[in-house]
Amino acid sequence: MIQEIVINGLINGSIYALLAIGFSLIFGVARVVNIAHTALYMAASYFIYLGFDYLGMSSLLAALISILLTVALGLVCYQLFIKPIREHESAVLIATIALAMVIQEIFLLAFGGNYLGVPPLATGYFMLAGVKIANQHLLVLGAAFLALIGTWFLLMKTRIGLGIRCTAQDREVANLMGINVNREIMAALGISVGMAAVAGAIVAPLSVIDPHMWLHPLTMMLAIVVLGGLGSIKGSFISSYILGFTEAVVVFALPMGAFLKGPIALSIMILVLLIRPEGLFGVSFEEER
Amino acid sequence: MGFIWFYIRKIFTLFKCEVLVLPSRVALLVFVVALLLIPAFTQDPYLLWVLILTAIFSIFAASWDLLSGFTGQVNFGHALFFGVAAYTSGLINVYAKVPNFLSIPLAAIAGVLTGLIVGIPCLRLRGTYLALTTLAFPIILTGLIFALPEVTGGELGISGLDRLSTSRVYDYYITVVLMLVLTTIMWKITDSKTGILLHAIREDELAVRAGGINTTRYKLLAFCLSGFFAGIAGGLYAHIMRTVGPSTLEVALSFQVIIWSVFGGIVSIYGPVAGVFILFPLAEFLRILPKVRMLVFAVLVLLTLIYMPEGLIPWIRNKIEKECPRCKVRSIATRKTCRICAASLD
Amino acid sequence: MKKSCFLRGVFLALTFCVGACFPVWGAEPIKIGVIGPMQFTQGEGQWNGATLAAEEINKAGGVLVNGAKRPIELVKVDSNEFLSIPDATNAMELAISRYKVDFLVGGFRSEAVMVMQDIAMDNKKIFMGCGAAHPQLCERVAKNYDRYKYWFRVTPINSKFLVKVDFLVLDMVAKAMAKQLEIPKLKVAVVAEKAAWADPIVGIAQQSLPKMGMEIAGVWRPSPTATDTTAELSAIQRAGANIIFTTFSSSVGIPFAKQAGELKIPAPLVGINVEAQKDGFWNATGGKGNYTVTVGTYARVKIDDKTIPFFDKYEKQFKEAPNYTAGTYDAISILKHAIEKAATLDADKLVPFLEKTDMEVAAGRFVFTKDHDVTWGPGFITSVGTQWQDGKNMCVWPYNWEDLTYEGTVPYKLPDWVMEYYKKK
Repeated sequence: MIQEIVINGLINGSIYALLAIGFSLIFGVARVVNIAHTALYMAASYFIYLGFDYLGMSSLLAALISILLTVALGLVCYQLFIKPIREHESAVLIATIALAMVIQEIFLLAFGGNYLGVPPLATGYFMLAGVKIANQHLLVLGAAFLALIGTWFLLMKTRIGLGIRCTAQDREVANLMGINVNREIMAALGISVGMAAVAGAIVAPLSVIDPHMWLHPLTMMLAIVVLGGLGSIKGSFISSYILGFTEAVVVFALPMGAFLKGPIALSIMILVLLIRPEGLFGVSFEEER
Repeated sequence: MGFIWFYIRKIFTLFKCEVLVLPSRVALLVFVVALLLIPAFTQDPYLLWVLILTAIFSIFAASWDLLSGFTGQVNFGHALFFGVAAYTSGLINVYAKVPNFLSIPLAAIAGVLTGLIVGIPCLRLRGTYLALTTLAFPIILTGLIFALPEVTGGELGISGLDRLSTSRVYDYYITVVLMLVLTTIMWKITDSKTGILLHAIREDELAVRAGGINTTRYKLLAFCLSGFFAGIAGGLYAHIMRTVGPSTLEVALSFQVIIWSVFGGIVSIYGPVAGVFILFPLAEFLRILPKVRMLVFAVLVLLTLIYMPEGLIPWIRNKIEKECPRCKVRSIATRKTCRICAASLD
Repeated sequence: MKKSCFLRGVFLALTFCVGACFPVWGAEPIKIGVIGPMQFTQGEGQWNGATLAAEEINKAGGVLVNGAKRPIELVKVDSNEFLSIPDATNAMELAISRYKVDFLVGGFRSEAVMVMQDIAMDNKKIFMGCGAAHPQLCERVAKNYDRYKYWFRVTPINSKFLVKVDFLVLDMVAKAMAKQLEIPKLKVAVVAEKAAWADPIVGIAQQSLPKMGMEIAGVWRPSPTATDTTAELSAIQRAGANIIFTTFSSSVGIPFAKQAGELKIPAPLVGINVEAQKDGFWNATGGKGNYTVTVGTYARVKIDDKTIPFFDKYEKQFKEAPNYTAGTYDAISILKHAIEKAATLDADKLVPFLEKTDMEVAAGRFVFTKDHDVTWGPGFITSVGTQWQDGKNMCVWPYNWEDLTYEGTVPYKLPDWVMEYYKKK
């Protein structure tokens, strides 16, 4: 039973980590609470469906193209709808909710409310310590670690990363220092949406695609980001696994209460926040006192 | 006799000089009178039904504005107050046979208690942390409701509540008058000393604390007040629908109230009310475009936000009225000088 | 099916207009409101079933009321009930007081149908439920007959009977397993989504499985909208279950079947899985849902003379097999029958005639119980058990049950990986 909990916790955690890191990044850099983040994750799954079922692409090609398309969609949406009102925090919030609704409705209109499926990139399963893991889930594990290492490398070792970090710390000073703040935000957004798209491309094949699929991971993603500390990528990563493991433990220890896995994970988040209001790895921003 | 005549003339002068000079006040007057007179012209049950729900959700949206707009304690899980109150009045009405004129106030008290229970742990949280934490509460409560189907009826909810009144027209008057009274009270609260303090907390909590004011107490007060008004809305909703289910706690409802409020314009109380009165019937009107109904709705909200990030009503108000730079009194935009101090408006 | 969604809509509207207006020019139509979540497959099924019925009736001249043939006019009312209960109530009010419909058919989400039912009863409108299975909807008729007598349920069968069918199908699979694989005592994993309608099924399973000579490996209650059930599946395999007894009505049925197929869990899926009744299931699971067994209302077998013609017509027109929400077809046929007998549209006068309904519809011989529910049993409506066999949803039950086998039923097949797993052992 221990090995099942460990492996399932890892899988759950990795799926969440892919979503939460991207969300956390864009919040850290642009202070945008992007509710539409998971809607873009959904968009990626639909693009794969479109490419595979309608245009007859191979599943790998469809996945790659869908990731690119989703990133483009994210950037366009930001330029059109979010940038003009970035100074109004509450308006940005609603705009992202409305944006998510627009994306949902467009897919509902185009594909109907049916549950759809896309083919996995890898079929079959793999035995590890007596536990079956679908090969697709191994991909999820790999992608989560790659994404983490990739973003860490990008943020810490490259010039773009330096710019993003500067912008995250103090946008105005960064601007004064000659950093093109808008370009840095676009770069961060590209990475963030890209990760959501990767998640959509590798998680969706094991699940179902429907126009409301973005709502389910949304609350968990928000909980993870808050638990880890807003804007802290390390925090998001670690708390993804905390909540992922919590869910797995709930399923195994309380099979009758498997539906409670969400509420229990959220309760843990609230308990942690009571002790540490800034989350596990959050820093309290002075300007936000 | 001359005494009475004096007062009538005084009221008339006040009306002429304080109401008719400002388009926003005229609009408010027309709105209130129209709302009260509608049943005299049409008793179409569908129209009244939509307006009843609109009135209930107006109270709900205004209560969100009181907490999140004025005090800056952004609540992403406002449906919690609504749902708790709805379930409270459902449970005590169905199981304990408490009549509805008692169950709705009790639901409001449940809203206040919820405000306390949620408010105390949330006092230490700020901004986005607070927003995202409050989002979790209704979801946890939904889990509890599903875990105790014997009491709560699970996903089916509690049904068989008493009607609010004997006919649709009475229902209409009860909800609309309550809506008018309660939103006026909320508006007055924001105008009072407490309201100004709440507003100050939103702007700069540290400064208020430095001024020797116990901000914790005021923040908690905001949670309780908001819970109270949202609770009345929830109680009314329960008795109008006569079934209380987990849909009263859905994330969608929490988001909906934010959309209404921000669309109408926050930090104003009347903004959210107007937001509901525009958007809720609009969603009904859009039934003529069944397939793209929600799409048009979302796009409209999005476009409004891009062009009027402050919200629709403040935007319109700033177009039709100008604030005097010297005495801060508003005048109609067509005037060149202030109506009070005659200072130039441009 | 997906591409031509819009075109199909236009086509339907056109054919319907022609069908509705032409043959019976002038006579005042009977308005039937079809209320349901029209953006979703459930609502689509309700609308499709109703259009089919209306077209058929109108082609034959209409409904005979007091010597005059009156056509049926359908009104599509989107309740949006999955997303918003207030919307559903608005839709109901709209249908009754603005569109002035004479009758209502449809409804799906139990919580919404409760509220919608109340509004219909307030207005004394006959409301034929085609989607919600909760017993409480009909218990209200028993409790307060005068108020709720205008409510009738056409599909699906009451969840109490659904459970019976469910266990009969389970028993059939268990027998097949015991016989083919020689397992002395079967272990059953009970997996039911966390929803009110599933609670009694879990309770009954816990009581009666030991009586049926099976052991319970455990009970799992995932959320109806869960998208990842691998944790549950590995727990089930760890518990050594031989059969997985499912109870799903929501989307969770797809990932569960898909992931079980992907991981080749050595236990067949049996039970209720509403998603598996739909044609889209095969594609949604990418074929991984092969061998999934579910209880359903319609299958292309000869339940009575009406089933296969209805099935073929539906498939031809809408390019998919009918789901139980297409029971609006039966509902309108029943309604027509009663109206013609009663020779009136008056709800109060119609109720006794509806109560006396005894006719063959596509789902079988239809008789209402005294609570206005569907009568279940051999010779009445039995429901069917279907299994996905290599891309086709085949009827596998009733198969020699109470001497009943519908023409066209095929034997149940065990999944090949289950066979392999036990052969290796």
